[in-house]
Amino acid sequence: MQRILVWDLPTRLFHWLLAASFAGAWLTAESERWRDVHVVLGYTFAGLIAFRLLWGLVGSRYARFSSFVKGPAAVAAYLRSLLGGSPEHHVGHNPAGGWAVVALLALGTATALSGFMTYNDLGGHFMEELHEAAAGAMLALVLVHIAAVVLSSLLHRENLVLAMITGHKRGLLPQAIRRPRWIAGTALAAAVVAFLSAAYQGALPDVVQASAHAERSAHHPHDDDD
Amino acid sequence: MKRVVLAALLGAALAAQAETPEQILASYEAQARTRAPGFAGFSATRGQQFFSARHGSEWSCASCHGAPPTGQGKHAKTGKAIAALAPAAGSERFTDPAKTEKWFKRNCNDVLSRACTAQEKGDVLAYLLRSAR
Repeated sequence: MQRILVWDLPTRLFHWLLAASFAGAWLTAESERWRDVHVVLGYTFAGLIAFRLLWGLVGSRYARFSSFVKGPAAVAAYLRSLLGGSPEHHVGHNPAGGWAVVALLALGTATALSGFMTYNDLGGHFMEELHEAAAGAMLALVLVHIAAVVLSSLLHRENLVLAMITGHKRGLLPQAIRRPRWIAGTALAAAVVAFLSAAYQGALPDVVQASAHAERSAHHPHDDDD
Repeated sequence: MKRVVLAALLGAALAAQAETPEQILASYEAQARTRAPGFAGFSATRGQQFFSARHGSEWSCASCHGAPPTGQGKHAKTGKAIAALAPAAGSERFTDPAKTEKWFKRNCNDVLSRACTAQEKGDVLAYLLRSAR
């Protein structure tokens, strides 16, 4: 066993950017004062999920759905091995973790879509409730994910948080991915930076950023009550 | 025992149903009576003052919902249109107690940095009910 590259750069960037945008959107959810930031983070989050769905088809070995979405037998065997105290070691996602990724992507998609519809006055109060329920379920799953990462790190004596930063895990040389996919990773980072700076400058279309429209077309009656 | 459970279920089913703004106002009145010993009814005038006051901060209720609240409002941050708040404007405003409570909680936090009392909510609702188109 040696140190091998497992997670390509786009997968790692996606992971941390998704975590950051979800955390930011959660923290800006309760106040109208942060509504514009919340919406921009929501679009960032949605774009990242769209990227991940694509990367699950064309990404490197361990980023592909085909490598980590396993049948119920594999999941049961893995969970049994956990209870037995000698967990199976998987170079990429373990079978239970693979399904957690699928569930997180599904809940993230539901959260982003229902948030978009709520912000654009489609679907009414029901959509608003759905948005909150999906985001809450996603947060619960994120907490399970974090607990599982800590537990697996201890059981396997391998720092999985560090692995999601450096991309390296323990394995056999033939199991390594060959390239970190610098170009796709850089393109993903550049797209996110470009989107956020456009949002910061108020240069996004109205559907994303209503304030830009409001400032262009508005008549602000100067009222002391406002 | 069965009858109690049945009654509770019926109560829960009714609670989930749409109400009228007047019923929601009545429930705030019941709350205010138990919580504020000197409760002397709701006042639309007081509600109007409360609605347009900034309470020492940046925003008033009217910052987003407009004054009078019978027309379309405009979000103070995003500029997005907000459907008229007064029930008389023909919206479905104040027909869902859970939604009413949720938005009082959010918006009172933004305007006053605290929750509103039953007295304050009742005063505001009395003002909104008085605001005809």
